[in-house]
Amino acid sequence: MPDDVSQAVPTGAAVAQAAPAAGHDTIIETRNLTKVYRDFWGRQKVRALKALDLEVRRGEIFGLLGPNGSGKTTTIKLLLGLLFPTSGQALIFGRDATDVSKNERIGYLPEESYLYKFLSAEQTLDFYGRLFKMPRRLRRQRTAELIEQVGLTRAKRRQLREFSKGMTRRIGLAQALINDPELILLDEPTTGLDPLGTRDMKQMILDLREQGKTIVMCSHRLDDVQDVCDRIAILYEGELKELGRVDALLKVRDVTDIQARKLSDKAQDEIRQVIQRDGAELVSMGNPTTTLERLFLDIIEESQAHPGRRVRASQDT
Amino acid sequence: MIIEKEPLPFSEWLWSGANIFSSDFWHGKVAVWGPQRWLLVFATLAIVVFLLGWLVSILRHGPVRGTSLTFRVLQSTIVDLLCMSPRRVWALMWLAIRDALRRRVIVVFAVFIVILMFGALFLDQDNEHPVRLYISVVITTTSFLILMLVVFLSSTSLPAELKDKTLHTVVTKPVRPSEIVLGRILGFVAVGTVLVAMMGAISYLFVVRQLNHTHTVEQAKLEPIGTNAAVEVEDTKGEGEKDREAQKGGNAPEAAGVALIGKSGETNHHTHRVFIAPDGRGRLDWNKDHWHRATQHESEGKITYKVGPAEGLLQARVPVYGKLHFTDREGNKKERGINVGDEWSYRSYIRGGTPASAIWSFENIRPDRFPKRIPIEMTLGIFRSYKGIIDQGIPGSLLLRNPKTGLMVEVKVFNAKEFTTDVHTITRTILPTNVSRMTLVQTADGERYVSEDVDVETKNRASFDLFDDLTDDGRLEVWLQCLAPDQYFGAAQADLYLHASDRVFWLNFAKGYFGVWLQMVLVVAIGVTFSTFLSGPIAMVATLSATLGGLIRPLMIAIALGTVYGDGKQADLGGGPLESAVRMVNQQNVVVDLDKGIQTDLIKWVDDRTQNVLWGMAQLIPDLNEFSAADYVSYGFDVPDNLIAQWTITVVGFVFVLFVLGFLFLKTREVAK
Repeated sequence: MPDDVSQAVPTGAAVAQAAPAAGHDTIIETRNLTKVYRDFWGRQKVRALKALDLEVRRGEIFGLLGPNGSGKTTTIKLLLGLLFPTSGQALIFGRDATDVSKNERIGYLPEESYLYKFLSAEQTLDFYGRLFKMPRRLRRQRTAELIEQVGLTRAKRRQLREFSKGMTRRIGLAQALINDPELILLDEPTTGLDPLGTRDMKQMILDLREQGKTIVMCSHRLDDVQDVCDRIAILYEGELKELGRVDALLKVRDVTDIQARKLSDKAQDEIRQVIQRDGAELVSMGNPTTTLERLFLDIIEESQAHPGRRVRASQDT
Repeated sequence: MIIEKEPLPFSEWLWSGANIFSSDFWHGKVAVWGPQRWLLVFATLAIVVFLLGWLVSILRHGPVRGTSLTFRVLQSTIVDLLCMSPRRVWALMWLAIRDALRRRVIVVFAVFIVILMFGALFLDQDNEHPVRLYISVVITTTSFLILMLVVFLSSTSLPAELKDKTLHTVVTKPVRPSEIVLGRILGFVAVGTVLVAMMGAISYLFVVRQLNHTHTVEQAKLEPIGTNAAVEVEDTKGEGEKDREAQKGGNAPEAAGVALIGKSGETNHHTHRVFIAPDGRGRLDWNKDHWHRATQHESEGKITYKVGPAEGLLQARVPVYGKLHFTDREGNKKERGINVGDEWSYRSYIRGGTPASAIWSFENIRPDRFPKRIPIEMTLGIFRSYKGIIDQGIPGSLLLRNPKTGLMVEVKVFNAKEFTTDVHTITRTILPTNVSRMTLVQTADGERYVSEDVDVETKNRASFDLFDDLTDDGRLEVWLQCLAPDQYFGAAQADLYLHASDRVFWLNFAKGYFGVWLQMVLVVAIGVTFSTFLSGPIAMVATLSATLGGLIRPLMIAIALGTVYGDGKQADLGGGPLESAVRMVNQQNVVVDLDKGIQTDLIKWVDDRTQNVLWGMAQLIPDLNEFSAADYVSYGFDVPDNLIAQWTITVVGFVFVLFVLGFLFLKTREVAK
């Protein structure tokens, strides 16, 4: 067993250097990727993905958006080699998606954490660590780190069958990170999480990007995608409808938004007049509302800071 | 013990030398064993699978891409097989073990314990062969429970993981399909191994504790029978002291005092006849496959008898078998004796009161192997053409012949009873009662034994040396003749053997359980293979069917070759499956041909195809009964190491093929839906 455990299992960055070049910074590339589901007799049931051309670059958070049945999960499964394409090709790190060796550098969090319920959190991570041929010392180290990172230290010896949905998602994320992957595929990462869990999950995703990981996530929760993704692709009925940077796609070019704090009524009137003089149309002016998520998180944070404080009815109630 | 299919010598088994390209072979007329058959099946399967895969790929993707994909799969298949990681296989094996434990496999062990606890109450306590009964019950019960368990475990595990998608998380790690299949097989084999070992240990204790016993002998129940009686303390089944004393030319030494005879107390639902010699040594006579030693003790004027444990009960005899042939009443050498009308042609018969003989030819009979004596054990079939006196048995004679010189000496005259194993000990120094010379001469029809007188000097010899006079370079012939006119002795090759030595019983018992273990390993491999491409319930039914097919494989082959009826020589008597069904419905007997016509042609055409398919299936299915050593162990015979080696190689070969098949199925299927 090597003394320096970092030598035993290559980190994502190290592997990236050793990997064959797949374009400059292209981690995932799909070419005309098509998937047709057929029945037992080979008759076409549904065309789940139609000629998808896509590129995901190193270090970005890429979101796959779309309603149910739009082909998001099919794309993820094709990228992982869980499904075989009907036509076209999916390349990850320049290798075919069915090539098992690519999995050395990939972490995958499925839509629901499909884990062995009879194992404890520690056993789960240890088992998946073994699949990466990690030496025992490194497995123990990574297991301890990840369990702490996802906040399951107190539950590490409990069987997963006793875990709540949020805890299961967290151990699911931990197993996806056991090999310190270069590319992480997250299928509906915030599904089933409460707002706190959602916030933590999004923060973890952002932290992973900070560490140089590439992340592909699919979700139908638009706010999550908007919060964390750098680029998105929108799928509808298996077809790519939109692709680009989130900020660019969301920018409403013919509307100007001004936000100011403690603006007097007089100043507001002057602004209205300026807009009128300029010949523009005033769409709205007033006090903005926060998001429900923000409100919920503020209340929880307040409650944690001042335990026992009761709710005060406001005038609006 | 009945051995219908004699184990082949290892070297012959390893390479039967059959020409697999001959038409005889493809029509099942040439038997092929061992690795050659395995190679043939494997190569055929590999080619069929490859061609089918290629065809499907071309149909789905067109000729160019289809061919390219097929060869890519072939290449990665070879890589997947050669580059398996032991560490990952170990991890997946560990997972399979955990999965099995989660499913409470230990319940099967609990069921087994309950069966042993209460099953003994329902066993036939008056059975004449309790060892056979107990051992066959424990081995059969173990085999049944273990096979049912592994059918369930091995066939449902992978489909369950595919259904709840836990396998998705595994296959998205750098795990090869070959590692998943091998990990599963090894995991379930490990669980089965522990269970078989536990059941074997408990069974051994159960058998030993149930059968070991002693008896009480009370002086009041013994009666004097005279002063000159000698007791054969060493004589368990006719062998021993008395014979040796007699062969030395003297009578048994007279002992002072009075010999006693009587009946022992009842234990384990039986009693024994008791003999106590004047010198105080005694024995409880042979009953229910065992006997006991008894010794007389005297303290404070009171005489008591101490009876030892059962002897001859749990043994592992190493038999030396000879090649059997016959002579008819004129002395003509024959492959077989007379058929007395028995459909089961295992034994053939010799007629009493004639020179017709059953002759066993032994080899390598040397003093270093049998230093003092040769125990001959035999179990004969008896066919009575008239009832006679049933209790007395049928008189017979055993003779030894030197194959080179033809010198033949009668060594025993005995009374044989059916289903009873008689033991006759031949000491090195033989005192002849009848000496002759039997010469084998060539005739126009074959070979014939001709009896000749021996010279006076030989005839008057006081004794013969077993090895110097009656063997030639280790070769010895044992002749059996029936002395009762118009009665018949039936003999098969395994009916008479030389008892060379004994091995440790517990080791033989373990070999019996090794056979169960091999069956378990095969069923695990079958189950895992089916589970790679079938859903849970279907995989379970398929595994169960293959297991049952493995248990009735000889019948499948007999149906395929049309040799079910009679002794197997009248092929196609009664037709194939469909023709038989038609005959049953129409109540037609098997010897009358069906009416000629299109209907009959169609029936025969369907039968022909069905039989071909059945023959092909039978070639693919392993014969599970082949690995059963229950008969050897229960009849007290050592399971030959040669047989164990053949079984092991066969199972390893089958498991390898099943593993490759399972791996290919898993590799070429979509894990997700």
